[in-house]
Amino acid sequence: MSIIDLTSMAEPEGEAQKKINDIIKGLQEDIPHDCYQCGKCTSGCEAFILTELEPHKVMALSKSGFIDELLNSGEIWTCVTCLKCKERCPQDLAPVDVIFAVKNIAVSSGKQIDSGYSNMLQAVLGTGFIQSPKEVVDRENNAVTRDDMGLPKIKGPEEMPKLQQVLMKAATETLR
Amino acid sequence: MEKIGLYLGCLIPTEQYAYELAIREVLPELGTELVDIEGPACCGAPLRHINLSLTMYLSARNIALFEKEGLDILAPCPYCHQAISEAKDVLDKNPTLKEKVNSYLKEEGLEYKGKVKHYHLLDLLHDEIGTEVIKEHIKEPLEGLNIAAHYGCHLIRPNDIPRPDDSENPQKLETLLKTIGAESDYYNEKLDCCGAHILLNEQESALTKTGQKLEAVQNHGFDGMTTMCPWGQRMFDTKQDSAGQTVGASLNIPVIYYIQLLGLAMGKEPEALGLHLNKSPVDKLGSKEED
Repeated sequence: MSIIDLTSMAEPEGEAQKKINDIIKGLQEDIPHDCYQCGKCTSGCEAFILTELEPHKVMALSKSGFIDELLNSGEIWTCVTCLKCKERCPQDLAPVDVIFAVKNIAVSSGKQIDSGYSNMLQAVLGTGFIQSPKEVVDRENNAVTRDDMGLPKIKGPEEMPKLQQVLMKAATETLR
Repeated sequence: MEKIGLYLGCLIPTEQYAYELAIREVLPELGTELVDIEGPACCGAPLRHINLSLTMYLSARNIALFEKEGLDILAPCPYCHQAISEAKDVLDKNPTLKEKVNSYLKEEGLEYKGKVKHYHLLDLLHDEIGTEVIKEHIKEPLEGLNIAAHYGCHLIRPNDIPRPDDSENPQKLETLLKTIGAESDYYNEKLDCCGAHILLNEQESALTKTGQKLEAVQNHGFDGMTTMCPWGQRMFDTKQDSAGQTVGASLNIPVIYYIQLLGLAMGKEPEALGLHLNKSPVDKLGSKEED
């Protein structure tokens, strides 16, 4: 995801901005237009030091329509969602939401994603929650469960197939 | 606040049992009855990576379930609290979208109206119950302890939707610490992220974030760190050993939920507050106090 890639091979995708704006509408104004590349987002980015994620470049690439560059880079998946970029942007933009939108596009266009994320989705579709109650160990290494501690039974969604059906439909819509 | 609906989300009721135990132990004594309702699911925030519409639907659905029971919501997880805040903010400003979301909710016999309020523990304790009432319940003030405050990113950001405290200079947790007799110094890394959200796919980077913040807290000379977030607690407490290995530091710092500290100050039994489930050396807090 560098300037060299841009000048050498990538083709801007005209529809890219529209796609991103569609997904995040309701969360902010049309994204990349107002970004003037001040770099404040990147200077405060919690992921930048460790993973080389540069939110201002994500904005620049979205603005120019180079969405393929973003979809094919692993960097969008290293955002820690600390929300500091959204908090501090002088133009009231939200690089974090653009990153979410690009990830959403990656998923819907069938790009391979980390199995952790797909497992989480399967769990929510199956049980309503990202995971089922675990047996944990205390400081003395005794295994304990919710029942052992007298915690009440979790009363999740009653009709899971119904919820699953609605979620599948909602996923194809833009609820923003 | 006499009665409030408890919305625990995913992480608290499936593994962060100490948080749930302490909440159920402490809040009723402060005059807040907790009500469990049937039907809530995930808040949808963890699915933002996959599909933002799912997040919106799930949060609207959870709010609608509590509305049906006429209950305000207590969401002790900042991630859930923020998803609820965002859904409310977007839906209340956009009647067309609200109608659309409601057309889906109708299939489950639900309706989003946007009438109930929602709280996190931070604003429930600080703004609703209030420090005066808390003080009346303190039997064993935690004098002599200097505790680092960790809020959790989603609890204070972004400030374009209502959050329980200031995004750049939050102070309510420090005030709550002082209310129970402890001190809480400022430290430069206070607003740093715990790294939890990339633990799935970037484990080493995630644990590096955790380790760096803990190392800073330890080097500052704090007696411990307190959190109000199950994701942060999971990183700083449950995964403290692996975080230490990742950054090459010998970490040995007690990490404890604020509600557990409050329970201790109220004279509650450590086991009733789930203290045996904390992996970090929380026993050190008690011995320091007696010095």
